[in-house]
Amino acid sequence: MTLLSIRDLDKSFAGARALSGASLEVRAGEVHALMGENGAGKSTLIKVLAGVVKPDAGGIEIDGAPISIASPADALRLGLRFIHQELSVVPHLSVAENIFLGRDYPRRWRFMIDWEGLNRAAAAVLAGLGVSHINPARKMARLTVGDQMLVKIAAAFQDASIGGGVPARLYVMDEPTAALSAEESQRLFAVIRRLRAHGAGIIYVSHRLDEVMELADRLTVLRDGATVATRDIAGLQKLEVIELMIGRRFAEGYPPRLAPVANEMALSVQHLSTGYLQDVSFEVHKGEILGLAGLEGAGQSEVIRAIVGADGGHDGAISLAGRPVKIDEPVSAWAKGLAFLPRERRQEGLVASASIAGNVSLPHLDDLVRFGLVLDRAAETEQAVGLGRQVKLKAKGPRQKVRELSGGNQQKVVFARVIAGKPEVLLLDEPTRGVDVGARYDIHALLRELTAEGKTVVLASSDLPELVYMADRVIVFRDGKVATTVSTEGLDQAALAALCFGTPTAPSA
Amino acid sequence: MASALKTYGTLIGFILVVVFFWIEIPDTFMTAKNWLNISQQVSMLAVVAFTMTIVMVMGDFDLSVGSMASLAGIVAALAFHDGYGVEIGVALALIIGLAGGLLNGVLVAYVGILPFVATLGTLTIYSGLAFLVSGGKTIFGRDIPPAFSGFARSGIPLSDTVSLPSLTLVAALVLLAVWFVLEQTTFGRRLYAIGGNKEAARLAGIRVKRLRFFAFGLSGLGAATAGLMYASRVASANPTQGSGLMLDAIAAVFLGMTMSDEGEPHVLATLVGVLILGVLGNGLTQMSIDSYVREVLIGSIIVLAVAASSIGKARG
Ligand SMILES: Nc1ncnc2c1ncn2[C@@H]1O[C@H](COP(=O)(O)OP(=O)(O)OP(=O)(O)O)[C@@H](O)[C@H]1O
Ligand SMILES: [Mg+2]
Repeated sequence: MTLLSIRDLDKSFAGARALSGASLEVRAGEVHALMGENGAGKSTLIKVLAGVVKPDAGGIEIDGAPISIASPADALRLGLRFIHQELSVVPHLSVAENIFLGRDYPRRWRFMIDWEGLNRAAAAVLAGLGVSHINPARKMARLTVGDQMLVKIAAAFQDASIGGGVPARLYVMDEPTAALSAEESQRLFAVIRRLRAHGAGIIYVSHRLDEVMELADRLTVLRDGATVATRDIAGLQKLEVIELMIGRRFAEGYPPRLAPVANEMALSVQHLSTGYLQDVSFEVHKGEILGLAGLEGAGQSEVIRAIVGADGGHDGAISLAGRPVKIDEPVSAWAKGLAFLPRERRQEGLVASASIAGNVSLPHLDDLVRFGLVLDRAAETEQAVGLGRQVKLKAKGPRQKVRELSGGNQQKVVFARVIAGKPEVLLLDEPTRGVDVGARYDIHALLRELTAEGKTVVLASSDLPELVYMADRVIVFRDGKVATTVSTEGLDQAALAALCFGTPTAPSA
Repeated sequence: MASALKTYGTLIGFILVVVFFWIEIPDTFMTAKNWLNISQQVSMLAVVAFTMTIVMVMGDFDLSVGSMASLAGIVAALAFHDGYGVEIGVALALIIGLAGGLLNGVLVAYVGILPFVATLGTLTIYSGLAFLVSGGKTIFGRDIPPAFSGFARSGIPLSDTVSLPSLTLVAALVLLAVWFVLEQTTFGRRLYAIGGNKEAARLAGIRVKRLRFFAFGLSGLGAATAGLMYASRVASANPTQGSGLMLDAIAAVFLGMTMSDEGEPHVLATLVGVLILGVLGNGLTQMSIDSYVREVLIGSIIVLAVAASSIGKARG
């Protein structure tokens, strides 16, 4: 039974086509994956459905009846629920208020808000997702981005978990797992399956193929804004999906190591402690990729942030190529040849109002001056063009605003910035988040090239295959401490996962 | 079309205002003499608005500029009163302006007080100081050296009847300097990055605190410059004479911001904002419209312009 049918959507932004003939049919009771390369138009299609973007042409039908969605309120009324790629939270309101934003709060004596009731209701919604560690009364701003994502998911699901209200018919999720840990993702999948069993339709966007193959019933592929195919997942090979997305044969995988790790020390961290980290010590060699693993918030990001001085001071000693260094601000980290890619591209990485070139050049402005203070725009543009090509950035040009790029292309801008200054050590926190399979391979290949030139990479990732196949060694963190260090020689994903959870059956290496 | 209106709406509005006065005041409005006159009238506001743009680029405000302008005028006048020369008086006033601005910078960047609150505090302090050191009196007459007050009356002759006022020239130089700093240097680029996303800028190796500190210094310096221009123009100094500058300067920057699709301040756009305010003031005065009515009109126009541009930008 067809629930939603989108036909021949067209949308251009200032002359640039985002959608040209995008169609999609979703049945009740199915998980329908929407696939495509970065910039293919997935988020734009979803924004049209949400009443956020006005299409130039095309039609939408629900239950066979043509409808128009002019605003988010319309979409809500029609029983559509959204989890957008770009989290929009109200940071100074509580978790509970974020969940019930725009809905009726429970009342007391008709006109007073029943705060306790509100918090209870929010807790119930969160519990429906299997989430118990988030206090509904807490301010949204104080949550990690992963937790914020869970709250947004809860907000979309709220009337599915508790009775009352119009039950939603269609859930639309744009890369909901990009900021989630493996464990949180699994919980989300359980909820999605439950919704499907109750007859809801689900549109699901993700660049993680394994996830899609596991969860979805059918998929539709967009390429350059047009629908190229809709297929049943059953009997479909990953290879075919990739081919549909990028239009050529391409085996998912990882580029091989190009050169052995050198014996020379690149970065040494001794007895690093902060409010959270306890006595973290490790060494990385030139040409090595050191992976950082662990459950969400176990210390991987904190180590990287502490090394670059993102959170002020810390105890312990850091040396680069054998020389002790003192870094208490990111500016000194960049100056000393460390490049830092933060975890959250929108909050911590990008200046959305600035151009691609302006974002790439930000830490390297001192290398782009003439006469001591005049910015050399031509050189800046040239830098962005060259790097943009290397990371396969899809954009109108180097002066396009980052705000206008698709999520994955924004991520590529942050990556381009990191390799722009020819750093000795790259500290990367989830560098391939939201990046499509092809571009991901290119980024991995670039990392291989850099390490072959003797550069060093510290790679924190919740993507376990990325660690297993790219890293030489992996440090596993647990509660702010180094739990163990393993070589990736012969390590598989399951074993690494077990180490992250700290399950006793974990094999040691 | 709609997007052109969004970006150029304010500029079109400015042109409409000019055309309106041209028609209403056919004899005097559209003359070189009147425009040079307007340029001189707005020169002080212009200087404050241009340097205010520097802090507003970072998403900050400086509310203390008006009282700093008054204080700077008083400081110079007192120096003259005590027999110091023009150079010394001017230098002292500028130093006070820079120091006051840097104090704002310390409070905002290093102590971490919201700019609104910090500069509201220093607004009161600088204004209080101006009263304190002047004893609340206007300093005028023989205390003000003719070389100082003569500056505002001087100019570069353009023809037999009109000349380019020195004050206009000062404003133009400040405009050029601020444009150069904001649009051409890495310093300016960094300020815009801070305004766009402070945290991302910091993590990308920008010294956010230091730059905010310096930017407030420049704003203080601009305020003191305007204070000196004012004192020279009226050949006197009193502790409240700069007080009108702050609101108008912020309004001018806001009017300019409506012209950028990112809502970022740019100094050339601020210039348009200043001219709108200046032309309105000049035209309405020539039409002998009551000054209270004038205020209501100018305020409404600002609100309308900003509202129109934010409504235009709300939906993609
Ligand atoms: N506001 C905008 N202004 C200009 N161009 C835009 C805007 N929004 C999207 N685009 C362009 O439309 C195209 C499709 O973007 P969209 O965000 O839909 O891609 P996507 O498929 O979601 O990609 P990703 O996987 O990277 O999230 C891109 O080329 C993007 O640059
Ligand atoms: Mg997207």
